[in-house]
Amino acid sequence: MSPPVDISALLSGLNDEASSPALLPSGFVDLLPGEAEAEAQGIEALMGVFGAHGYERVRPPLLEFETSLLSGAGNALAEQTFRLMDPHSRRMLGLRPDMTTQIARIASTRLSRAPRPLRLSYAGACVVIGTPGRETERQISQAGIELIGPDSAQADAEVVLVAAEAMAQLGIARPSFDLTVPQLARTLLAESGLGAEACGRLAHALDRKDAAALAKGGGALSDLLIALLQAAGPADTALSALAALDLPVSLRPIVERLRTVVSVIRAHHPDLALTIDPVEFRGWHYHVGVCVTVFAPGQREELGRGGRYLVGDGEPACGLTLRPEALLRAARLPARRPRVYLAPDADRTVAARLREEGCATVAALDAVSGEAALAEQARALDCARVLLGDRIIPV
Amino acid sequence: MTDILTHSATRPSPTDENVSDAPLVLALPKGRILKALAPVLKHTGLSPSADCLDESSRKLRFPTAHPGIDVVRVRSFDVATFVAYGGAQIGVCGADVLMEFDYPDIYAPLDLGIGGCRVSVARPHGISDAEEDDMTARASRIRVATKYPNIARRHFASRGINADIVHLNGAMELAPNLDLAQVIVDLVDTGSTLKANGLRETEVIAQVTSRLIVNRVALKTRPEEIGALIARFRDAVSAGSRDAVRAEGGLS
Repeated sequence: MSPPVDISALLSGLNDEASSPALLPSGFVDLLPGEAEAEAQGIEALMGVFGAHGYERVRPPLLEFETSLLSGAGNALAEQTFRLMDPHSRRMLGLRPDMTTQIARIASTRLSRAPRPLRLSYAGACVVIGTPGRETERQISQAGIELIGPDSAQADAEVVLVAAEAMAQLGIARPSFDLTVPQLARTLLAESGLGAEACGRLAHALDRKDAAALAKGGGALSDLLIALLQAAGPADTALSALAALDLPVSLRPIVERLRTVVSVIRAHHPDLALTIDPVEFRGWHYHVGVCVTVFAPGQREELGRGGRYLVGDGEPACGLTLRPEALLRAARLPARRPRVYLAPDADRTVAARLREEGCATVAALDAVSGEAALAEQARALDCARVLLGDRIIPV
Repeated sequence: MTDILTHSATRPSPTDENVSDAPLVLALPKGRILKALAPVLKHTGLSPSADCLDESSRKLRFPTAHPGIDVVRVRSFDVATFVAYGGAQIGVCGADVLMEFDYPDIYAPLDLGIGGCRVSVARPHGISDAEEDDMTARASRIRVATKYPNIARRHFASRGINADIVHLNGAMELAPNLDLAQVIVDLVDTGSTLKANGLRETEVIAQVTSRLIVNRVALKTRPEEIGALIARFRDAVSAGSRDAVRAEGGLS
């Protein structure tokens, strides 16, 4: 008699999601040869520029206690944080969705006595929960800088200028920096006297630039909100549109700061593409001053984001975080290392010299008889040349 | 041979070439809205060829009078998707579609004031208002046939009711009478389809008009071109409403 069939096991085998070992959780990918190396090289190129401008590298851990990861500015990350229980301490741990708040923690604790301005850089992987129904990446690498201590337009401009130089290093032509001032919309809504629900609807309408909803729900504010919405655009036109508006006194310093940041950036880098969006407030909601989002022509995603925030004890800071994955989609994969196949009798000194010159040498592991067989193996392993003794032969 | 070590400073980037000169794509919805949109398009000077507007062609992509702008003609729901994912930089769709999907990558900077209708709840005839109020107040769930699952779910959730969604793509009006659902949530224009199928409109969830929508990243990276296009549509809408006022004046 044949053994009984386990029907439920058979049925779950039909479930596509369970059937393929190649399937990864949504939002997670394998980087393959070429891609992984490009990512590593790209990150090192960025970190090189950051380091050259005096931003010293730190490396916070992947996991932290939830209470410290999500305290202060980190509060804004709570919705996007994966959590797990630490079996030792039985405390809840959070997997970082963003590194800026970790750098803020380091600056306000271990490096609280380090001289200011404190310039720190970092690179690493973060994991976000993502939005259900949108198949976006959930493991995100970050490479960024934080400038802790000063609260000035010069500092705001410095992080933009250093990021622009880092992107130029990757060969990304004409990146554009969208400057925003989230507290402008926040101040307007807070001073509007509207109830929480009406404010929530207005905030949503501002976020989606929904002119019809602003006209309907904005009350006395609607004309100003729509004018602010229409002021968005290239920095110079946006600044003159803002100058023409009759803004409440409380908002004028915010716009003035924006204007100064633009002129400092222009003074150092006149050609940098700058846009201004006065009503935008996207991103982690810990930002308090001038913020920036990085784009590049032809790219359908943000390449980076940053802005001004407060470190734990209220110390001012600003920073900018680039997304290496997105940068590398904009920058095209670098050429693979040229590969040379080493015959068993290949000259070791020549092989070492080839490696120094940037080639990859691929050693034949088995004894091979005849140049033809050697050439065939070389081609199969993607090597354009063979090192035979001290002779380099194209195949 | 050593070029891989220095490539990063000099290699050309794909963002260098052509990308920002690529034509802008304007996504337009088939059917009712497209007809109402024709006069606006005429004012903007962006009218696509006649075989696009009268939907006689099987082509899906059409040139316009403007060399840098192409039109694609897709389903109303898909306009939002094309624009959200950046396949089209700009588009026209009903506010109902935006409410349903609520894509963060779509901006809706202009109300075109055309294609007016509403998203409503409708129920079978023969249930009195009092009965219905009572039912709604007591119910912890309700079965709803709709092509707007998110709008319906949100609407009933705000009343403390879980909506059991029966997702249909058309002929919602059949659902209550075939016992597929207790109510429907659908787009209502004149209400004659509801009447013809023994239903009555009991609650308006939202008034709907067509919106000009824009992809967020496109607006940030091509602010001049897209800004100019939005301005063109804005002018066309105000010119259109002037025409309408004049026409009404003529009639009276």
